[in-house]
Amino acid sequence: MSSTATTRPNGLALFILPSALLFALFFFLPIGLMAVMSVLTGNPVVMPKVAFTTRHYARMIGDPFYLEVIWTTIRIGLVTTLVALLIGYPLAHWMARIKSRTGHALLLMAVLAPMLTGIVVRTFAWMTLLSDKGVINQTLISLGLISQPLKLMYTETGIVVGLVHIYVPFMVLTLTGVIGRIDERLEQAAENLGASPLRAFLEVTLPLSLPGILAGSLLVFALAISAYVTPILLGGFQIMTLPILIYQQISANFNVGFAAALGIILLMISLLLVIAYNRALGLVSGQRELQ
Amino acid sequence: MMKALGPLSRRRFLTASASLGIGTMAAPYVARADDPTLRITGWGGKWGEVMKAEIGPAFESEFKCKLQIDSAFPYLPKLQASSRSAPIYDVMHTNSNEQWAAAEMGLVEPKIDAKLVPNLADVYPYAISDKIVGVSIFTSAIGLGMRTDKGYSGVTSWKELWDAKYNGVRGGYVIPVNSLGQAFLMMCGTLFGKGQLDLDAAYMALEKLKPIKIVDFTGAMEKMLLSGEVGMCVIHDSGIYRYDGQNQPTDFVSPSEGVLSLEQVLTITPGSKMKELANAYVNYMLRPEVQKRLAETVWYSPANKKVKLDAKYDAKLLTTPEKVSKLIQVDWKWYNERKDEIDQRVNRIFRA
Repeated sequence: MSSTATTRPNGLALFILPSALLFALFFFLPIGLMAVMSVLTGNPVVMPKVAFTTRHYARMIGDPFYLEVIWTTIRIGLVTTLVALLIGYPLAHWMARIKSRTGHALLLMAVLAPMLTGIVVRTFAWMTLLSDKGVINQTLISLGLISQPLKLMYTETGIVVGLVHIYVPFMVLTLTGVIGRIDERLEQAAENLGASPLRAFLEVTLPLSLPGILAGSLLVFALAISAYVTPILLGGFQIMTLPILIYQQISANFNVGFAAALGIILLMISLLLVIAYNRALGLVSGQRELQ
Repeated sequence: MMKALGPLSRRRFLTASASLGIGTMAAPYVARADDPTLRITGWGGKWGEVMKAEIGPAFESEFKCKLQIDSAFPYLPKLQASSRSAPIYDVMHTNSNEQWAAAEMGLVEPKIDAKLVPNLADVYPYAISDKIVGVSIFTSAIGLGMRTDKGYSGVTSWKELWDAKYNGVRGGYVIPVNSLGQAFLMMCGTLFGKGQLDLDAAYMALEKLKPIKIVDFTGAMEKMLLSGEVGMCVIHDSGIYRYDGQNQPTDFVSPSEGVLSLEQVLTITPGSKMKELANAYVNYMLRPEVQKRLAETVWYSPANKKVKLDAKYDAKLLTTPEKVSKLIQVDWKWYNERKDEIDQRVNRIFRA
């Protein structure tokens, strides 16, 4: 029997096509080019003789300074994520469980309000608070509590404060959706069976909200390790992170190959985290891995 | 017989208004669509304002061309990414260290042809010295900037920046990305070692300079000095003088050991299709009247010896051979060859 059925394009595929093209053109292609540049001695478009090399990666591995920069970047990302989670979880829980529509709307506005201002503006606002001549130090000095300004800026703590302020909304919004979908009756059942509210939360709500915790943490961590403006302004260039180093290599050292290698490392950190996230989610969902 | 126009409907009125508006806006561009375009780089701020308002339009009018100015720093990576045969810029304006890097990569021509740029004959020797790629059209003097309301009087030497009384209010630059920071590092070698090339002495001196607040751009340093966040810093004279008349409690100190030269350099790209216009632009920027206008706007010292500035500017800027002789030029070729090594070292030194 000959098949007379003609293959007609799937309507859904046609809808996906523009975004797939966009993704391929502005995501896969640049990353592919970056990966290629990281193993070349120069730019093949403008240089006649270009060869493959591993020197950019060897330089990174061979110099402890770069490993320290990578660790600093990861450390800032981890601390930011943890603090954002500690601040964001109670807020998200409150938002998810609040009965009043007005109250929910007000909380949502409070969470979203900082996002209406640019990152640069928010970081400058933190600078006016944390600098030596800033509000905090000047107030403490005028009250006679300190004689010399506290070192609030140009530290990792300063950077984390700025990053947490910027990324808490991402954590809250991710968590609110997940917590909101947890059936409240499960907690009530646990309490009816004698569990204290704290135990009910720890043994029922918290495990069920793990997917949200993981997703929010992944989002905040990825954003924090790739942040440029906040670490540069609040760190005063004295805290070196991978994005700062990448910019420095491109803008001042004109070493695109090494910058590309650093970019690939940053990407690898994020990818490893996504893989770990998928595995963890699989485990908490009772599956070995996500299909 | 003349055909009568129909009644003016709302749609027709809106269409006609939109066409008229678009036509009016597009007219200058359409009229000059055939004009050649010279693509250059240039700073923002006051420099950008005067270039856009006066200097640029006057050049366009005289040479019947369009001037396309890119003031979005950094310029060199963009030039680096563009084709050698069709570069993104015809003329690049940036500081000397970057010009040297560009010349080493073959992105700009190392020298300007004096036959094609007659005004080159009138510049001070430093502007076309062997330490310069292209031509320096202006220079600033890098020295010390200080607050005058904190009792820091009597500063005469670079070495006073190391005085413990400036701990917490001392300002410097991110050396890997800032020309002033790089020039200052070389000065440290002179001050505490055998000369500019004594990097070990410079590194030791930088270690002793901590605690220090560091920034990437001079504009940021100006703001820190004005706000009092910094009391004593490395800065160029323009960064202080440009606030002249605003009663700011700041002053510029020319240290007795000499001031470093921060050159504003023009170069032409080898692949430019507008070579004639590019040379005309360089020559134009060296004209005494153009030099005077820019110098008196942004407080840069003109490279043309024939420029006569008003007394207020003449008193402060480097406008005589004697004053110019105080300038210390950095060997950027030597520096750039060691830049990676230097950057790694200073990044470690200034790490919190």
